[in-house]
Amino acid sequence: MKKVYIMSQVDEDKCIGDKICENVCPTGAIKVVKRKARVDESRCAACLKCLDMCNEGALRMVPRKQPLTMGVDPLDVDQDELQALCRRARFDPEDAICLCTLTTAKEVAAAILKGAKTPEEVTLMTGIRTSCGMWCMAPILRLLKARGLDIVPPKGYRWYDVDANLWDISEAVSKKYPEYCFEEDKKFYDEDMLDNLISMLT
Amino acid sequence: MQEIAIQPPEIMPSVFGPELPRQRAAHLPGIVSLKVKELFEDIPQAIYLLGDDLSVIRRATEEALTDVDMGMIKDQDSINILCSEHAFNILEGKAYAEMIKTIKDVVQERTGCQNIRLRFCAGGGMAEAREIIPYFQLDSYFDGKVRGTGPFDRGVPIETEIGTLYGLARVYDADWIIHAHNDDPREIYFHRLIDRALKPFTMSYARMETRSVYHFNFGNRSSNIVPRAIFESPFVQERFAFTCFLTTAPTGIIGVDADNDLHHLNRRLTVNTLKSYGKLMRLFAAIDECVAVLDSGRWPWYLHAGGLTSGNLFKAPTDFMDLSVGSIRKEKRGVKLNPAVKALVINYAWRELFVELPSIYPTIVAGSTLAQGLAKRIQKHAVVAENLEAAMELAQQISKTDKAIVFDGSYGSINLSPAMGQFLMEKAPEVGRKVEEELLPKWLKQRGFDPEQNS
Repeated sequence: MKKVYIMSQVDEDKCIGDKICENVCPTGAIKVVKRKARVDESRCAACLKCLDMCNEGALRMVPRKQPLTMGVDPLDVDQDELQALCRRARFDPEDAICLCTLTTAKEVAAAILKGAKTPEEVTLMTGIRTSCGMWCMAPILRLLKARGLDIVPPKGYRWYDVDANLWDISEAVSKKYPEYCFEEDKKFYDEDMLDNLISMLT
Repeated sequence: MQEIAIQPPEIMPSVFGPELPRQRAAHLPGIVSLKVKELFEDIPQAIYLLGDDLSVIRRATEEALTDVDMGMIKDQDSINILCSEHAFNILEGKAYAEMIKTIKDVVQERTGCQNIRLRFCAGGGMAEAREIIPYFQLDSYFDGKVRGTGPFDRGVPIETEIGTLYGLARVYDADWIIHAHNDDPREIYFHRLIDRALKPFTMSYARMETRSVYHFNFGNRSSNIVPRAIFESPFVQERFAFTCFLTTAPTGIIGVDADNDLHHLNRRLTVNTLKSYGKLMRLFAAIDECVAVLDSGRWPWYLHAGGLTSGNLFKAPTDFMDLSVGSIRKEKRGVKLNPAVKALVINYAWRELFVELPSIYPTIVAGSTLAQGLAKRIQKHAVVAENLEAAMELAQQISKTDKAIVFDGSYGSINLSPAMGQFLMEKAPEVGRKVEEELLPKWLKQRGFDPEQNS
């Protein structure tokens, strides 16, 4: 469970409406309307990306009147469905898929089972991607796709769809680059998942 | 060992860090220095350690570039020299900045090209660019043709053998790119020293989705296909001019290497890293108990002691140079770190990416001013001591060990407690023998090198 006590605020005198903040906000909390950025208080997770990226210094953090709470209890959803979703995405449910917030695969899976359909909605529900934000996009996309959801990136460059992964490496690439140990890594992952499944059942 | 600790590199002020510390750990009574060459005589000699005389770096860069073909660059072309944040943390960053400035001068002189731009590639946030570019006067040196870029900037699709990946548009918005990097073996637990020289193509020069694919959609060994696929793509090959690396050893900067063929440079880098750093890495693994002191100006995992980053201690028990060792995926669950670290003292470090260490190690923060500058989630896990001296005393009480090692950015020597110095001196011969006779030949062979020719 993550509680957020601050939020982003725009200085309209400095804002030039370049939409950089809109493009880096992981929850889609910022929209530029009539060349001025607007922050939706209910969606700002205070990740600080907008502050960092704004060349005009037009954003700052201010205290919230009420803290924003983010977090999903994985026990709120059907456990068989949750396990199956994680398995299809090739994650162990206990895997921390965001190493800053330590959000686990099962929390993201639970958010998706509760209705999250986009990375933005997953972030709002779980708090994932609200710190460094650099490592956790691929796992979110894998879990959304494993649920069979259509992945449609937003306009601009907030995020792009990526697919490359160990299990889809072609035989030709695998043979061409033996030094990357594709088969060994696949075997390691499969054994790891099996080990963990057994440990949960025993 | 020498009784007076060596002066560590200065810390650059940063918005990512708290207020600069009033006292460095090296200045505490009871902290001494141990030269890395006292541990392992065969570590290569440094050509540069610290200081403002950078002529040796300029000469080394000019010499390294002598045989590099620049014939593809026409005088009307545009060139992006690509640099990365971390190298500005190696020995105060002056050597790296000088190498970059020299590349510009040499290219300009040999090709007549005037449109040479610098692309500063941030590890995390754009504030890095706003601080580091002026600090090293890169903006004026490049006549204002300097832009920062980072993982959340506009991307550019790159079609590769493994699918579409995204680079940073600003990195590739020129006729030619020059890959100017360093060989610091940080994060060996991720890249495993497989194509280390190519890694920036999936990190520094890439969007966050591509970085994420590298870290989460593959194992540690197989993930190195991602930078390889990007680098081999027609999109990158059409733009790639040459590469130039600052080369290091635990002693300091040992030279500059350059090549039109990145794979050739990568092979030289790999052998040098295994031979120069291998023994010290395994010596860190031999440490049975210690207090780790963070006292330098970057993220907590990237602070040097004797030229080796703190992450190499936190991950020390596993030999990640051994390619028969599998993925670290299991360790992500529950975040298993080196149990030999019994306590952590924070005297200075950048404040982000901090959550793991204080939640695992007993952590003492040196002073309330520092504590206030750290994130709330850190404060929650850490104890605040009155000052650095009190923090060290408390750490010793908690850890019940008098062995302390200071990550203060030093190369050439390690600042440490006498007990730690004594321990390392005693362990070094045995570790050195094992690396020479067993590990180094294995590491080399696993990477396709003949141990007989490279040991």
